[in-house]
Amino acid sequence: MIEVKNLVKTYGKKDSAFNAVDGVSFTIPTGKSIAILGKSGSGKSTLMHIMSGLDKPTSGEIIIDGQNILKLKQKDIDKFRSSEMSFIFQSFFVQAKESCYDNVSLPLEIAKISVGKRRKMIESALAAVDMSEKVKAKAKELSGGQKQRLAVARAIVNSPTIVFADEPTGNLDSVTGGMVEDLLFKYSKENDVTLIIVTHDSDLANRCEMQIHLKDGQIDDMNPPKFLGKTLVGRRLKK
Amino acid sequence: MKITDIIIRAGRSLKQAKARTLLTSLAIGVGAFTIVLSLAIGAGGRDYAATIITSNTNPQELFVQPRMDANNDPNKPQKYTDSPTMNYGGYTAKTLSQDDIEKIKQIEGVKSSTSIYQVKIKYIYTKGNEKYQASVRGFNKGVKLEYVTGGSTDIDNDGIIITDNYLEAFGFVNAGDAIGKKLTIAVDRLSTAAINPEQKEFDFKITGVIKSSIFAASPISGMQISKDNMRLLYDYNQQGTANYNQYAGAIVQAADNVDVKDVKSRLVDAGYDAQTAEDLMSFIFNFINVLQAILIGFGILAVLTSIFGIINTQYISVLERTQQIGLMKALGMRRRDVGRLFKLEAAWVGFLGGAIGSALAVIAGTVGNPFISKVLSLGDTKLIVFEPLSIVVVVVGLILVSVVAGILPARKAAKLNPIEALRTE
Repeated sequence: MIEVKNLVKTYGKKDSAFNAVDGVSFTIPTGKSIAILGKSGSGKSTLMHIMSGLDKPTSGEIIIDGQNILKLKQKDIDKFRSSEMSFIFQSFFVQAKESCYDNVSLPLEIAKISVGKRRKMIESALAAVDMSEKVKAKAKELSGGQKQRLAVARAIVNSPTIVFADEPTGNLDSVTGGMVEDLLFKYSKENDVTLIIVTHDSDLANRCEMQIHLKDGQIDDMNPPKFLGKTLVGRRLKK
Repeated sequence: MKITDIIIRAGRSLKQAKARTLLTSLAIGVGAFTIVLSLAIGAGGRDYAATIITSNTNPQELFVQPRMDANNDPNKPQKYTDSPTMNYGGYTAKTLSQDDIEKIKQIEGVKSSTSIYQVKIKYIYTKGNEKYQASVRGFNKGVKLEYVTGGSTDIDNDGIIITDNYLEAFGFVNAGDAIGKKLTIAVDRLSTAAINPEQKEFDFKITGVIKSSIFAASPISGMQISKDNMRLLYDYNQQGTANYNQYAGAIVQAADNVDVKDVKSRLVDAGYDAQTAEDLMSFIFNFINVLQAILIGFGILAVLTSIFGIINTQYISVLERTQQIGLMKALGMRRRDVGRLFKLEAAWVGFLGGAIGSALAVIAGTVGNPFISKVLSLGDTKLIVFEPLSIVVVVVGLILVSVVAGILPARKAAKLNPIEALRTE
């Protein structure tokens, strides 16, 4: 379970200060898929960065399974990210000159998984995205859809509990985008993995079990509202 | 991230930028090449000098000369003295008299004192062949000669030891052919009329052939006859001239159980200049060391220059791979490991440069050795001697230097903000 409590992120100082994230609170039960929606500049990317420990908020708490990750040392946050989290990006960020195998291997190397165990994990991850025959192919030889499937394989190889996806289908046509979406939702359901998707694509957002609409750093709307729990803080603080 | 995985990833990123890696490595390679070759030349030079010295000198032997005046400036007019002098191209040197030789013999620890006989040989020949110029010197039991053939610890009274570069001139097929053959030396009697002087031929039997060498005392020849015969030639050559029984120097033999340095200080106290074999040796070693230091200096300059190449290349690499670094950090790679990745890339560049440079140096040395030996007529001696340990030290040293050069770019990579890095599209 991920609890986000009263999150504020302020950029700039004094007069020029503005809150990119302005008092956001919500709770995501384990294994659910959630879409964070909003126009560009609404603070959705900043929110994702803070939730994944890449960025520090000005105030607030992120409690994942009872642990406030903002109180961890950098070393421990890195370790937490390497073992529990993974990322999928709009522009894939696969290493063009490396083979698919080496691309998928990266998170395992970072998590210090031994060479012997890696092979099996990499092969099953590639099989899960239907890319088994591309093991030795260089990433630059792949099509856009294949690249994103490779990115999905890289994201799931170390069996994370939370997957962050930043506009995962933004650079793909609707057919290949749909395939990637299917992969993500299927993996989330089958493995009880929390899936957090940042998007402005309402079709993709509607496939998620929860939606949070951000506007000017605050929660504008939330669906279903019951997940707000005791806090309607985001709405109340809205000026 | 495990260090082995980082090393593999570092190597792989370099492989993906082959041309850049190779060019940067080559810059270090130039330095490695120069340093490795200088070390090899130094090692070979010292080896060779040591062989030459042991085959030309006796550790218990001293070379004694009269003490030179401190104000002996050849550019100023020299005062006339009654004492005999020798003139070398306008430079006058004092000489040792027979009395000096006797006086030196009385000094404690001196076993024997032999004057250096300077005999001007008119020509030398074997029957049926052309006449040649040559010089001879007295055979010294204490010196280990490098014999090509024949030879023993002593010399027969009518024997002569020749150098191998004269074999062809004397009409011999090979060194073995020369042994036992007759050799004739002609000497002028200098006290007779200068225009048509009296001359005499002396016959010798060849008993040994030694290697000629560039470091030998006389470049023309190092032919040797017994000291008694040397005296005989000297008497015929110089008797009746002003310089008769005046010697440029003397070879003093220290007694076997005496420290040659003690004898030296006693000779100096007695008013002579004395040099031990070690003194003469240190001059050659100093020369080689200075030469080597200069060459290594050039190598180090090349390495210094290449450091900037590495820094530049690594900075470009960090810029090019901003997204990759951002991704790795997002996936939980620690700052320290990101820094290590780039430092190890620099280490790879250093290793490659060192290996390429050393390999080229070894190839150049191996190919060049026979050629150099031929030009300097060193025979089988190699002037370039590679020591595996020094190559390893050079390569390891270059790896360390490269890692130091990689510190700044590595720090930039480690500090990179993953959010900023991943925003670049």
